[in-house]
Amino acid sequence: MDCEKCLERLHPYLDRELTAKDLDEVRVHLDECGGCDSAFVFERVFLERVKGSATSDVAPPGVRERLILRIRADVRRGS
Amino acid sequence: MAQRADPFEQEALSYLDALYRTALRMTRSEADAEDVVQETYIRAFRFRDQFTPGTNMKAWLFRILTNTFINSYRRKAAQPPTTELDDVEETTLHRHMTEGGAEAAPEPERVVLDSMVDSEIREAIEDLHEHFRTVVLLDVEGFAYKEIAELLDIPIGTVMSRLHRGRRFLQRRLYDLARDRGIAAAKAMPRPLPASEQGRRA
Repeated sequence: MDCEKCLERLHPYLDRELTAKDLDEVRVHLDECGGCDSAFVFERVFLERVKGSATSDVAPPGVRERLILRIRADVRRGS
Repeated sequence: MAQRADPFEQEALSYLDALYRTALRMTRSEADAEDVVQETYIRAFRFRDQFTPGTNMKAWLFRILTNTFINSYRRKAAQPPTTELDDVEETTLHRHMTEGGAEAAPEPERVVLDSMVDSEIREAIEDLHEHFRTVVLLDVEGFAYKEIAELLDIPIGTVMSRLHRGRRFLQRRLYDLARDRGIAAAKAMPRPLPASEQGRRA
């Protein structure tokens, strides 16, 4: 596998979406190629950082309570 | 009469935070996000018979959420300014850093990553074009390519390309923010300092 093919598989690799065959080929290339390896490491850290920021906030106070009241009112109306 | 614990309700409500923050980034408005989420749950409870226990309730709720958004709120949602789609196609932050101003800091990529703050990352996601933003939002909530494809009724190849490009846009945006703060590779991309900073730097 060359660098271009390897970099095309950057995201599927990090997302654990590669086939077993592709996965092996990427791993072999990353062992041999420092440039691709550092690109993969950087991307992994970047995506973890994005995921951490994007999923750490919660619904503001009151949202849950108002939601439960609405659901129960709707269920009562419907039944 | 006391409310008995309802397993369907308990599980459904356990996804409230994830649904709310996703709705917030799609609508860019707290009031609209709350409306979308309420509508999502109302529909889920009305059609709870259509949910097969033991299957993926999170995916089922997110499908209702995205449909609710598309049908009722998309037109209303403030659209981010259009970005030139081809501009950043294969620009990666890593490439910028390694080919641009790698001498600016011992580990420039790390410096940029460390300088990013939660609010900037969230805003950068909100500023993505809707096509990319929706896929990025579903990805960070843990859905696989195939699940995202099914949720949005689009081919898996489209999921992959939108996710790839969405992430490229995010990197570019966050890199620009870091550069504007003078953290990353200022040498590679010079810009005039604001008057207020010139004295301090001299």
